[in-house]
Amino acid sequence: MSDALMLHVKNRLAELQRMDQLVRNFAARHALPEQATFELALALDEILTNVISYAYDDAGEHDILVHVSLDGCDLRVQIEDDGRPFDPLSVPTPDTSLPVDQRPVGGLGVHLARRVTDRLVYRRESGKNIVLMTKRVDR
Amino acid sequence: MDIAESKRNDTVILALAGRLDANNANVLEDKVGALLDAGEQHLVFDLARLDYISSAGLRVLLVAAKRLGAVDGQLGLAGLAPPVREVFDIAGFSSIFSIYPDVASALKQ
Repeated sequence: MSDALMLHVKNRLAELQRMDQLVRNFAARHALPEQATFELALALDEILTNVISYAYDDAGEHDILVHVSLDGCDLRVQIEDDGRPFDPLSVPTPDTSLPVDQRPVGGLGVHLARRVTDRLVYRRESGKNIVLMTKRVDR
Repeated sequence: MDIAESKRNDTVILALAGRLDANNANVLEDKVGALLDAGEQHLVFDLARLDYISSAGLRVLLVAAKRLGAVDGQLGLAGLAPPVREVFDIAGFSSIFSIYPDVASALKQ
């Protein structure tokens, strides 16, 4: 059985909480485990936060497309934006063993998203950034 | 997110509830910044009622820890729920912060 959710998000940080709720409703509908649900919500939040905060050079309103689908045990989240080209995989993996005073501030969002999903791929297509995250879930 | 502030001796306790994300991290950042500007050197964050934290929230805690470390202050975190703990573990924050099961144990340190 498969099911999908297509969501339109505005480039405002206030949208994060609304997305969180919609994704949790989707997960609840499919009785996904609590931890997988949280990880899905976190990965989406981190990628969306980057897009909303850094992708746009103008102050205008932009539409970000989020596609969540579940096919058997395969969960997919795709985020599509028309902002400037940005490959999240270009962000260096932070050294999480450094002490407080040597820790750089920032750069953790993509790391979290990658660690809670099984795969994160990026492509630039027709002037859009497309991030696709996949995750195996136990059901 | 709700922030409740209280004080026990020379320690300021900030109890966070709800969701800490990029949309409201600045509220906490301003609150913590004001406390540190006022000379507070001992902070305990009560996270027992915090359901969710993203990297934007971690950032605020890291900045606070750096500022407190520079003045020999102390920052303790208490009562992390499993999802919050998971984020701390992945970010490598569990080993660099003082984490306590609850506020009472944090205050004993």
